Amino acid sequence: MHPDLELTAYLTDALAPAERARVAAHLEACADCRRTLDESRAVLAGLAGGAPAPPPPDWGRYRAELRARVQAPAPRAWWARPMPAVLAAGLATAAVLLVVHGHERRPVELAAVEETMLGARLPLLEQYRVVERLELLEDLEAIRHLDRLGDGGR
Amino acid sequence: MGSWTPGATLTQESSDEALCRRVAARDESAFDVLVGRYQGRAYRLAWSLLRNAEDARDVSQEAFLRVYRTAGGFRGDARFSTWFYRIVVNLCLDHRRRGRWWQQILVRDDGGGDAERALLERQPAPGADPGEALGGKQMTARLWAAVERLSPQQRAAIVLHAQEELPTSQIAEVLKCSEATVRVHLHRAVGALRKIVARE
Repeated sequence: MHPDLELTAYLTDALAPAERARVAAHLEACADCRRTLDESRAVLAGLAGGAPAPPPPDWGRYRAELRARVQAPAPRAWWARPMPAVLAAGLATAAVLLVVHGHERRPVELAAVEETMLGARLPLLEQYRVVERLELLEDLEAIRHLDRLGDGGR
Repeated sequence: MGSWTPGATLTQESSDEALCRRVAARDESAFDVLVGRYQGRAYRLAWSLLRNAEDARDVSQEAFLRVYRTAGGFRGDARFSTWFYRIVVNLCLDHRRRGRWWQQILVRDDGGGDAERALLERQPAPGADPGEALGGKQMTARLWAAVERLSPQQRAAIVLHAQEELPTSQIAEVLKCSEATVRVHLHRAVGALRKIVARE
């Protein structure tokens, strides 16, 4: 098995002695790995030839800007920042509306849940002769627990 | 902030770690010395990762600002340089992540392309001088231009290794990952550079 991953580490001298010896032994026997090693060495040597120099900044201006940034008060965390009055008023109004309308919607949501539960029981209810004509029953509450009745209930 | 004049001799001779402790105690002359020692490295590293002079200036200044404000959190068991490099690299990676979404919307030349082109244009045309040294310079320019196409983590690893000459163990501390992960980053970066250069 070729020590692909270790070849770069071999060149950057990042291997433990035992690992290094193992890679060296493999290199002696493997021409492919020697070729890869040579190409990788050329890449690293090329990079070592010198990184491009950035455009030199005006260090006086750089230090002046840094001085100004250091002297400026540290920005507060977003949750500690003062909120604009309009935004605060809007959020308060939204909260009030949510509370009021949330209560109003609740019975509607509960009714929907009850309908769903009853709908799920319909196939079971239809097994009972007494309720074959569901549409004739006005009070569904009366049959809510029919599924718990024994044979005597039929 | 004080006068921002070079610190006293005692301060100049102090270790980075000692200076950082003094910065934590709001010693502005110590901060001044630290800035003097690291401004070139911080700016160069940021530029290598961002390839934009304005961004590099902004990010490197931000790194010093972080040092000034959070020096109290610096653990004395680590080297200051490692801690500082980590701040710079993290800020650069954050900067690139933040910029990505709008760069996809606005087709903007952020100077990176210019930097690459300028770098290549400064090199003599192929064949102008068949000398060995010239070929080496061209190869170096091409390789560093290709570094810009690596993934952010690979680029950070290769810049810290080849430019800042940090050992794998220190790169791992800067990138906050294992040495094995750094080895993978470097291996993949070198592999990608081999292919890019071979194609050109």
